[in-house]
Parts: sequence; C-alpha cells; structure tokens
Amino acid sequence: MSKFTRIAIANRGEVAVRIIKACDELGIETVLLHSEADIQSRAYRMATKTMCIGPASTAESYLNIEANINGALASGAQAIHPGFGFLSENADFAEAVVKAGLVFIGPSAASIRALGDKVHCKDLAKKAGLPLVPGYEGENQAVAHLSEEAAKIGYPVLVKAAAGGGGRGMKLIRTAAEAKEQIESAQREAQSAFGSPKVFLEKYLDHAKHIEFQVFGDSTGQVLHFFDRECSIQRRHQKIIEEATSPSLTDDLRRKMGEAAVAIATAGKYKGAGTVEFLLQDGEFYLLEVNTRLQVEHPVTEEVLGIDLVKMQILTAQGEYVHDPKLIRVPKGHSIECRIYAEDPYLGGVPSTGLLGKTMWPEGPGRRFEFGFDAGDTITPYYDPMIAKVIVRDESRPRAIQKMIRVLKDSVVFGVRTNIPYLIEILGHKEFVMGTMTTRFIETHFSEPLVSPPLMEQENQVLQGALAKLRTSRDHRETSASPWDGYWRGV
Amino acid sequence: METVVRIQGVDHRVHAELIKGTLWVHYNGRTYTMAVGSGQKSRRKAGVGGSSDQISAPMPGKVTKVLVNEGDVVSQGQAVLVMEAMKMEYTLKSDIDGSVEAIHCTAGEQVALGKALVKIKPSSDN
Repeated sequence: MSKFTRIAIANRGEVAVRIIKACDELGIETVLLHSEADIQSRAYRMATKTMCIGPASTAESYLNIEANINGALASGAQAIHPGFGFLSENADFAEAVVKAGLVFIGPSAASIRALGDKVHCKDLAKKAGLPLVPGYEGENQAVAHLSEEAAKIGYPVLVKAAAGGGGRGMKLIRTAAEAKEQIESAQREAQSAFGSPKVFLEKYLDHAKHIEFQVFGDSTGQVLHFFDRECSIQRRHQKIIEEATSPSLTDDLRRKMGEAAVAIATAGKYKGAGTVEFLLQDGEFYLLEVNTRLQVEHPVTEEVLGIDLVKMQILTAQGEYVHDPKLIRVPKGHSIECRIYAEDPYLGGVPSTGLLGKTMWPEGPGRRFEFGFDAGDTITPYYDPMIAKVIVRDESRPRAIQKMIRVLKDSVVFGVRTNIPYLIEILGHKEFVMGTMTTRFIETHFSEPLVSPPLMEQENQVLQGALAKLRTSRDHRETSASPWDGYWRGV
Repeated sequence: METVVRIQGVDHRVHAELIKGTLWVHYNGRTYTMAVGSGQKSRRKAGVGGSSDQISAPMPGKVTKVLVNEGDVVSQGQAVLVMEAMKMEYTLKSDIDGSVEAIHCTAGEQVALGKALVKIKPSSDN
C-alpha cells in the first residue's frame, strides 16, 4: 500500500485537531469535512484544506455517509479518518469508503460489525469465553416486550443503544414503573444519535468500576494490548475523568483482563486502535462492550506509554505498522484526563453555549491540552458539549491529582460556563483520592448541582478593582458609562 | 485583559473581560461573572431552582416530547416533557402536585433558554 499524501477528516472539534497534528508530523496534508456551523473552529483554521459537506444538523453533515465520501473524493484525499463519535463505528460507512476507492483509517467493516454492534459482540465474546453481564439482546424491540425482559433480568436494568457509545441512548431503569419512559427515551436518543433505534438490556451492577483496555491490531493482524484505563467517574454514563493506569487492578487481574481483551479483539480480526471495556465488581470482571475506534481518553494511555495512537492508526492503514516483538512496554507514572464540558455546574450541568472569550491553558511539564476552539469562536448548541480535554502526567497518582487541580484552577475559559469547578470538587473527594470510586460515584456524591460559595470581602474588592481597571482601559471605554449594578457569582 | 489589582498593598493577578453584557473575571483559581447594565439579575433563576408552578427551558434546545395534556393531574417528580440539546435528552419534571393548566410548546419546537413551557396549577388551589 502506498503512503497517503492527503487524509480527509470526517469529524470536528478537538479530535479533528488531534488528527491534523498527527498528519502534520507525518507530512500528510489534511482536508476537514465540516458542517456550516463549524467554520469558527481551530480544526477549520489548521487543516490544509476544508470542505463544507452540509448544514449544522448532524444527519445532513457529520452523519451523512455520501456527503463525507464525496467531499473526500473531491478534495483528492486517499483516506478518511473518522475520529470518534459520528460515523466512526458505522460499518456501512467503513464499507462505502472502501467501495469508493478510499482507505478507512480504522478496522474493517466486518470487524466493526462483529465487535462494534453490541449484540454481535456478545455472541463473539461468548464463543471466546469472556464473562458477560446478564441481559437481553433480542431482535424484538417492542417496548412491552423489552419491559418484560427487563423485569426478568431484575431491576435495576440498563437500556442501551445497540449502535451507540458515549452514554447516548443509554438509560437506567430502576423500577418497573419507569420502564416504558426510559426505554422510549433510549430509543429516541439512539435514533437521533446513531440513526438506529435498536436497544438492548443489561443488568446494572451497582458498585462496579469501569476498566478498559486499549488494544491495537497492527498491519499484519497481530493484536496487543496497551494496558488499562479507569473511567469510573461518569455522569449519565458519560465519562468525565479518566486515568491510566487503573489504581484498582492487581497484577493478576491486569494480566487476565488484558488477555481477555486481546482474545476478543483477535477473534474480531481487529486492525488499528480499539478499546475493550469491562465492569469490575468484587474482583470479577465482565465484558461491557468493544469500541471499534480511537477513544476520547486515548491521551492518558499515550502519556504513560510514550506512544502516539493516532500516528499508529495512520501507519497501520498504510500497511506500515508492525508491533516490535522485542519491545516490552511498561507504563510510567500516572496520567489523568478531565473532560471540559460547556455547561453550568451550578445548574446541574445544563449546556452553556455562546461566544467564547478568553481561553488560557496553563502550559507546563506533564501538561497537555486538547481543544477545538479559541477565543472568538462560538460554542453552538448542535453538537457534543465537550470543548476541551486537560491531560496531566506525573510520577504517581497523588502527584497527578495535585497537578490536575492546579492546572484546572489556572485554566481560564470566558464566555461559556464550564464544569471546571465540578471537576475540582471531584478530584478532591476522599473516595476519588483513595481510588475506590465506582461508576455510581457521581450519583452518590454529586447528584445535586454545585452550590456557589459565598463571595468573600477580599474577593469582592479584587473584582471591583478589576472592574475599575477594565472600565478605564481603552478597549472597554464604551462601557465606562454603564451602571455596574449587577451581581457577582462564581462559575 | 490581564491586570494586577492592588488591595491593601498586596497585588492580585486577574484576568478580566467583557463579553456580550457579562463581565468575566478569573482570580485565584475561580471564574466569576457579573451581568453588566441595569437590573439584569441572576440569570440562573431561569428555568430551574426552587419549586415552581412554571416549567421552563433550562437551556436552549428542542422539545422532543410533551408527555402531558392540558387538564392532566400530575404529581411532584412526574416527567412532563422531554428536551434535547447537544444530543443529550433531558426530562423535565413537575416540581409540585397539581394539574396542567397550560402548555406553551409543541414537540419539535426549538426553544430559547428560560422559555415558559408548561404551567402547573397547584393542587392546593383546587
């Protein structure tokens, strides 16, 4: 296979930036396939070329297979990188890309069907001998039938999108009374986010940890794992804080789970970067799902292993990446990622949109910032609320936590409210610090919106001082006559 | 802008900016906002907080499903309508026991932050 000279990116935001950087380093040009709503973004400014493929609505742009392929062909790209979310786990897309004479940077359509569809994945896992959570994966999708099956499994039960990931189309049914409402809600979300309303049911483990293994299949088809990540800090099944490696695994568990991850990826003839997710409860682990794509939290693995998964993906797609059998990888230190969401932590996390003012990410050793927008860009309501990721690495978990808190405190985002205060609270919580958190951490300790701390007299003086300076500065002279009789709040 | 504010002889480094009528200040690890101009108080009151007979949009987004009809009896915590924003669903619930007095939106409608969506008549009034 020949080297790529130009890669099209069927994605947006910080992951598009991540892919552009990897391509830049490999000397490959990029084409950003973007919607009308995304012309104010870093990826748009950084890509070698850009091509608008449709309006803001995801169905007409980022989820439109034909528009993406036509855009890639018209711009002279040889390959498409799907990023994560959107079409990244869509086997029809992977197939259509290949049919169009392009290379899909990711696993084959057959692998995506075998592993990515949660229902097929479970069949494969059963054959490969992996432990599974009890559930229902049948074709009968009638709400009444699903409710019956949920009752059979025994509440609480999770209803999840068969084609999904990232917490979309996933709902928890606690009692029979909630079944109908939650199943219908999951089906609607699944339809809206993934284009298919198909769902399945699974018993909800109520004190489990979320542990996942990074796997990677090279150009020759050999699959290795690149150790584990823990992502137990989730809200509404959406990850918020991830780390590598997990503070919870014994060497024995790590070995067993790693072998299981490699076994199922190998059974699915996996090529490129993928993630095998498990739930761990009382020393027993269960396969949750396989994500047939790059993961949002891939940087923490990169940080502790010193690798570049996106470059590895591209080189694998070119037929050039082969695992070195002499290399023994050992994770070094500890890495944590926090997802920065544009939302109001004092209103229970409702989305916050608008014009982004100043953004400042405090650079330093062991700090990494992945972000899709700069000052002057607008955060629109059309897409995912994640606007950035902050990643730190330090020699131990306590040091990494300490560093992350400092970095978050020194990060400045003006114009939209963010979950930064919420993240700082979580990082300082005893259970997180001890590493004993489970996937119920948020609902147990942070189910209520944060309460804004009262304004201290000194803070008030400093803020009034800042106000006075701003008022007299030339940039803001037009506001100097306004009565500043508002009220302060912390965000 | 980045500036230094001196309070009782001690310098404090702050970042401050005015964006569309809101002043943003970052100081000592926290971000503060203040509505600028006349009378524009507490935007956080929009939609959420306190028990209310009015269910309003806690964010800009789309109403995907209205789960009640006018005149329906609802109890506290009962789901009344479903909204979608940033690809996530949010179920809005009634804060109080009562009956549905008026519905000011329809499924599929895009609504702005704070828009009144459903009015509940408290049952204690009956």
